[in-house]
Amino acid sequence: MLESTSQVTIDHQTHSIHYLYDRHAGKLLGFIFEVVKDRKLAEDYLVKIFSALSLQHNQQGEEGIHTWCQLLKFAKTKLQQLPVEHRGMEAYDRSAMTVMHPSNTYLDRLTEMQRMVFCEVYHHGKTISALSIALNTTEDLTRKTLKEAFLIMRSNG
Amino acid sequence: MVKINEYLESGALESYVLGSASKAEIEELLSLKSKHPQVEEALAILEADLECIAEHMAITPPPNTWLKIEASMNELVERPRMEYLIGDEPVESSRPKSRSGKSEQFIEVEGESGHMRIHKIWRWIFAAVFVLGKIFLAFAIYYYLENKHTQEEIQQLKIELRSMRQ
Repeated sequence: MLESTSQVTIDHQTHSIHYLYDRHAGKLLGFIFEVVKDRKLAEDYLVKIFSALSLQHNQQGEEGIHTWCQLLKFAKTKLQQLPVEHRGMEAYDRSAMTVMHPSNTYLDRLTEMQRMVFCEVYHHGKTISALSIALNTTEDLTRKTLKEAFLIMRSNG
Repeated sequence: MVKINEYLESGALESYVLGSASKAEIEELLSLKSKHPQVEEALAILEADLECIAEHMAITPPPNTWLKIEASMNELVERPRMEYLIGDEPVESSRPKSRSGKSEQFIEVEGESGHMRIHKIWRWIFAAVFVLGKIFLAFAIYYYLENKHTQEEIQQLKIELRSMRQ
């Protein structure tokens, strides 16, 4: 029996999502875990985010998701809609970070300020302006700190 | 050139790649990106760096995760279809128009089965029609035989009358 066009579309879509899953699922799970700090919840959210991709693929006129950055942006948008217990910035002390990121050499090499700026922007999607107000500093300085954090992590890579 | 180098050093690209740039910052970056290839190149490097950082923080998902995603996707795809059947046209619909060209707003009711379902009262109506049919048939046979017998008697009487006259 011939497959209907819709079935072929769904199969193609499933394959393209599976391809994204094979390439980025580990990275995305690691990212979600850093946001929610709960392995089980992170796995649930991983399923929800990848499932939501099927609807995203259906929407006409929407730009497709092919790269890690596009997937990350999509995941951040979805995570904002899901209940996430956001830890306050006061929790970013060194001892806490050591416990939460036992093997994270990237974050360990950052200063407290660099780590705070990076984690707030990367994991919690804070804008530079909002973060600058919270840290009582200028936006230029916050951007510089973020750049420094990137440079240190890049040099460690 | 000095200005673009200052821009590259400002941390604006990092802010953009991490999705924390404001609308005005995004517009400025896209404008500069179209004019200066260095910006595009720096962005590509940053995206690769970001992927590298994410790779370093990666956690391998449990083996059954993809099956859960697939089941969840099927559910999400089927749900709009069901809503579609009851008349609410879904926003997300990848289904093409039917071959006949008819609007998919209507439900196709022709089933593959050769059977049909009717109300139970029709059982008694069919039984009554059957019994009445039998009764009418019995009466018809009775009157036919009766008539035939009467005709034979008449013929017999006629023959007797003729023989008496002679």
